[in-house]
Amino acid sequence: MKRRRFMKTVGAYTALGVAASMPYGLSRMLSPYAYAAPHRHIPLPGALPDPDDFARACIGCGLCGEVCPPRCVEFKRREGGSEVNTPYIDPAKKACILCNKCMEVCPTDALTEMPRREVDMGIAQIDRAACYPWVDEGICGACVVICPLGDDAIGFTFANIYKPAVKDGCVGCGQCVEVCPEPSLPIRIVHRSEGTIAKHGVATRRRSY
Amino acid sequence: MQKIIDKPSVLRHVNKLRWAVLTIVFLMLILLPFVHLYQTYIAAHAYDLLLPYEKIIYDNMEWLTSPFVSDPEHDLDAVKGTTWSGSLFGLQLSDPLAVVSQFSASLSLYWPFILTALIPVVVTVLLGRVFCGWICPATFIYELNDTLAAWLRRAGVPLGDNVYDKRIKYLVLGIGLVLSMLLGSIMTAAIYPPAIIGRELYYAIAQGAFGVGAVFFLLTILFDLLVARRGFCRYLCPGGALYSLLGRYRLLRIQRVVEDCNDCKKCNVVCEFGLDPLQDGFGQECNNCTACIAVCPTDALVFKVSTKDVPYQGPGHLGHTWRQQQKQAQQEASE
Repeated sequence: MKRRRFMKTVGAYTALGVAASMPYGLSRMLSPYAYAAPHRHIPLPGALPDPDDFARACIGCGLCGEVCPPRCVEFKRREGGSEVNTPYIDPAKKACILCNKCMEVCPTDALTEMPRREVDMGIAQIDRAACYPWVDEGICGACVVICPLGDDAIGFTFANIYKPAVKDGCVGCGQCVEVCPEPSLPIRIVHRSEGTIAKHGVATRRRSY
Repeated sequence: MQKIIDKPSVLRHVNKLRWAVLTIVFLMLILLPFVHLYQTYIAAHAYDLLLPYEKIIYDNMEWLTSPFVSDPEHDLDAVKGTTWSGSLFGLQLSDPLAVVSQFSASLSLYWPFILTALIPVVVTVLLGRVFCGWICPATFIYELNDTLAAWLRRAGVPLGDNVYDKRIKYLVLGIGLVLSMLLGSIMTAAIYPPAIIGRELYYAIAQGAFGVGAVFFLLTILFDLLVARRGFCRYLCPGGALYSLLGRYRLLRIQRVVEDCNDCKKCNVVCEFGLDPLQDGFGQECNNCTACIAVCPTDALVFKVSTKDVPYQGPGHLGHTWRQQQKQAQQEASE
């Protein structure tokens, strides 16, 4: 009799645990994580460098999205993973303007205030086989004109005035990605270790975040 | 009967005030995403390029906010966020559950964040579980849902009214915190209705689609409707568990005045949390929502300042049982 009661209790607690973790399970089941385009999920400015640390610190209150003037902050909803409700930026849709508002409003240490030149959201990478000026298919320079950090972050290569080249000062805000008019998608935000020039081959398909 | 006319109580109208507060909080949660959209449209300086429905949002928000602010693009940042975590005129407030589970997920103390929960914690320690009854946006929906259930029952629809152990919610809180620790993400936020409502309303209005939390919230509504009355708040809510623990030795309590009580049991029926005011059984789960005070026909329930409930005081002196007892005692005395 005692054993049966014990089994009943254990069963009930297990059922409760399953019920408690149901939203997590639902979010995992409803759609698998999208590995296809890592450069469309870049971290917010001032975010903790390690994605796992960020997931631990973020309470999912949505304040960063609510104060964001250009509305670039989006939230992981059905993408799955343990980072449900945590924010990210898709620079191809709408890019960060480095206004610091999300860092000011974040209640936890997920986003910490820092000067805009110390922000590290990644670095812009240009595919020189896809950028029209680089293949001599026209003149553009939109990325250089839009860059909020100016000469430190991106400029034209010497003597080829419309061929853009990213420099070390780039913080990865993604304004250049948003503004880039070319359907060949020559520019993207990647992890700093991947460099500013796209290498063709298997390496470029690696997951960066 | 004389009693009611003699002592008109102001307390019985506090419940209306509570409903006003609940409504205001819920409407603010709907309004703030629209305010956010409005600020975005202002920042874009492109009124003429807005779609017709966007123009409607713009115009209405302008009409609503213009009495309060002169520079809407920046001044409207004063009130942002949800009941999970928000900023109010520069004052950041967070749910104690957010702080506790963020600590258990990261296992590190971040003092600026912990201090944002200071005011809620102090209020809870003094006034008890008032968040649940007075502020929680889920309570607003759950109580309306409960009214719907009452109508359905009256119409003859059989709905479940099961009673479980109220301590289950402490287990849910514990499991949620342990899961947060193991998985490194804040699991309690996924099953905590006020947090879910806050962000899902924001997702739906400002970002165009509901997230996964909406499914869970619908399930809790169905659970309340079909299985147990106010079941999620009573038996499962992890935040409610934390607030109950914090408000265990609260100073403001509801007490039954035994001289005015007529044993009508309306307080027990109306209590959303399944407590037993008729037999002085309030305990740590009482959230001072004043529904029992509002329903009491003889104003026998009052607020008092104390850290303990009184033990059972016996049947009410206006009731049948007490009169019988008196009569018996008199008879025994005369014999």
